[in-house]
Amino acid sequence: MHRKTPISFRPIASVLSGILIIVIFLAASGYNVGSAFSALWIGATGIQIAPISFQPYQLAQSLANATPLLFTGLSVAIGMKAGLFNIGAQGQLTFGAFATAVVGFSFNGMPAIIHICLALGAGAIAGAIWGAIPALLKSARGVHEVISTIMLNYVASDITSYMVTHSLKDRGSQAPQTAAISKNIHLHPFVPGSLLNAGIFIALSVVALSSWFISRTSWGFRIRAVGESREAAETNGVPITATLLLAMALSGAAAGLAGAVMVLGQEHRFVKGMSGSYGFDGIAVALLGGNSGLGVTLSALFFGGLASGANNMQLLTNVPDSIATVVQAVVIFFAGVRSPIFHSKRGIKKMINTRTGQVIHESPPD
Amino acid sequence: MNLHLTDIGSFVMSTLLGATPLILAAMGGVLSEKAGVVNIALEGFILAGAFIAVSAAHLFGGHGWVISSLMGILATVFLGLIMGMMHAFLTQRTRMDHVVSGLGINLLAMGATRYLYLHLYPNGVEVAGLDRRYFLVAALILPFLVQFLLVKTRFGLKLRACGEDPDSAVLAGVSVIPVRYVAVILSGILAALAGAYLTLGDAHNFSTDISAGKGYIALAAVIFGKWNPFGATGAALFFGFFYALQTRLQISSIVIHFWGIDLTNPFLMDTLPYLMTIIVLASFVGHTKPPAALGRQEVL
Repeated sequence: MHRKTPISFRPIASVLSGILIIVIFLAASGYNVGSAFSALWIGATGIQIAPISFQPYQLAQSLANATPLLFTGLSVAIGMKAGLFNIGAQGQLTFGAFATAVVGFSFNGMPAIIHICLALGAGAIAGAIWGAIPALLKSARGVHEVISTIMLNYVASDITSYMVTHSLKDRGSQAPQTAAISKNIHLHPFVPGSLLNAGIFIALSVVALSSWFISRTSWGFRIRAVGESREAAETNGVPITATLLLAMALSGAAAGLAGAVMVLGQEHRFVKGMSGSYGFDGIAVALLGGNSGLGVTLSALFFGGLASGANNMQLLTNVPDSIATVVQAVVIFFAGVRSPIFHSKRGIKKMINTRTGQVIHESPPD
Repeated sequence: MNLHLTDIGSFVMSTLLGATPLILAAMGGVLSEKAGVVNIALEGFILAGAFIAVSAAHLFGGHGWVISSLMGILATVFLGLIMGMMHAFLTQRTRMDHVVSGLGINLLAMGATRYLYLHLYPNGVEVAGLDRRYFLVAALILPFLVQFLLVKTRFGLKLRACGEDPDSAVLAGVSVIPVRYVAVILSGILAALAGAYLTLGDAHNFSTDISAGKGYIALAAVIFGKWNPFGATGAALFFGFFYALQTRLQISSIVIHFWGIDLTNPFLMDTLPYLMTIIVLASFVGHTKPPAALGRQEVL
């Protein structure tokens, strides 16, 4: 995933093309582009331009949406640093949320701060375990992590669905959910009615801490070394298995924390299907953010705002909010394209030559 | 429990029908992966195919079910071709990571079908549809065709060379990229037809989550079947058998408990294809060899 080519303009190009896609979709389906866009903008930022006003609720919802994305984007980014494509953030998030809910309703009368830490810890550990499995399968048996994480996503969703319809079902309700967590450990909304809570500060600190860990510690260096070239790292004595395990456990823990914070701040219990698609969305977040801490933060804010803006747009102008998913796809395409569009002229020349069947021997662009 | 012959017959039929979309998509998966292109885009192909089939059939709904279904199938083939071409372009021309391209295509299909469905059919959409058995017959013939193509034709040889050792293939005069284009386009068409089965054949309408991970299960069948058309078909039938069993157990209300775990629970039975895939991959390493150059980007 690493590129040496300057790519600073790539995220901007991705976002602009995403916006262009919205315009094309809106115009082609006959909506009023202007009013739809203003609904999107207000929903994302809370700022109304004419007449000027500010709706804190809208901005709070954008930030609330960004909270799990910060975690899952970080999760995917950590995996990529080690050269692993973690598509399993979804399953890790699900198990993290589940574990947090169990710890949340199992204890009562514990000091709130200890209980919150325990609940967060349980979420992180559950996610880490679910993340470590693909790493073990990879290093011990050579199972490709993309396949195992896709499969484990379904397994996580099925097992938790089983639990909340059987032994751990909420006895007070027909719904497939666990009992409610202790009221002590709720993270309360900053803006009444919104879902924005202290979770976003937890998310931002975890992103900052992980950035520091990856770039400044020796284990972080090992993770990057393995990601750059597994062979070179091995030759230089980096323990591959331990490094892959650590990277995936961290990646899983980040995703698990996403679930934990969602339980503490939004659902207050585990509900079947609560994971939505936050785990998958993390892939777009990480790709747009170029796997850096700052990048992931900005891109989580962008996608959080986009989701909340699209929601407002659907409410006000009836434009289906799944337009946000299309934008995600476009961003992924732009972030993922390698040569020749974003690379040198040699890339294009090479493309032409392979078209005629002639091969030029040269090193790949990265 | 008394088993009657008709019971067994209907059980076999529901196994076969459960496997039909998986076989169609898995044959696409075999072709693409044998040519060296990772194909998690099957899920998106299926979803897009499901949508376009029902919309085209609905558009020609006034001309009787034959014309309507025919137009549905034609549109599906066309869209499958376009989407396959897209995956081929992204992975081969722009050398995007195959998984990234697949994920992007899946998201595009998810977002665009949901958008169009809500926009075009706010009250839902119904079609007369096409008998499921047409799809079943196609799915049962297809593995033989794919095997023939892969093993007995020059093109099949080239295709496999592109997946095993593209550099040598180039030296032997094979144009790797065009061959992969054809393979991925075929996979787009076949997976889209699996989608057409879901709407035209099975549901006769569209819902936004109609593919429900079938593309990923088809991919699991490809791996489970060791990238062999018959193996993948066997795996798809095996998964289809468990779908049928699941449905049957739910109706019959038989419950098997083991250590307090309800093994006949539909959620737990649903984990089976996924767990089996992981177990097969983990235990047969050395025997289960994916095409050597699968997912390699630095080809050529």
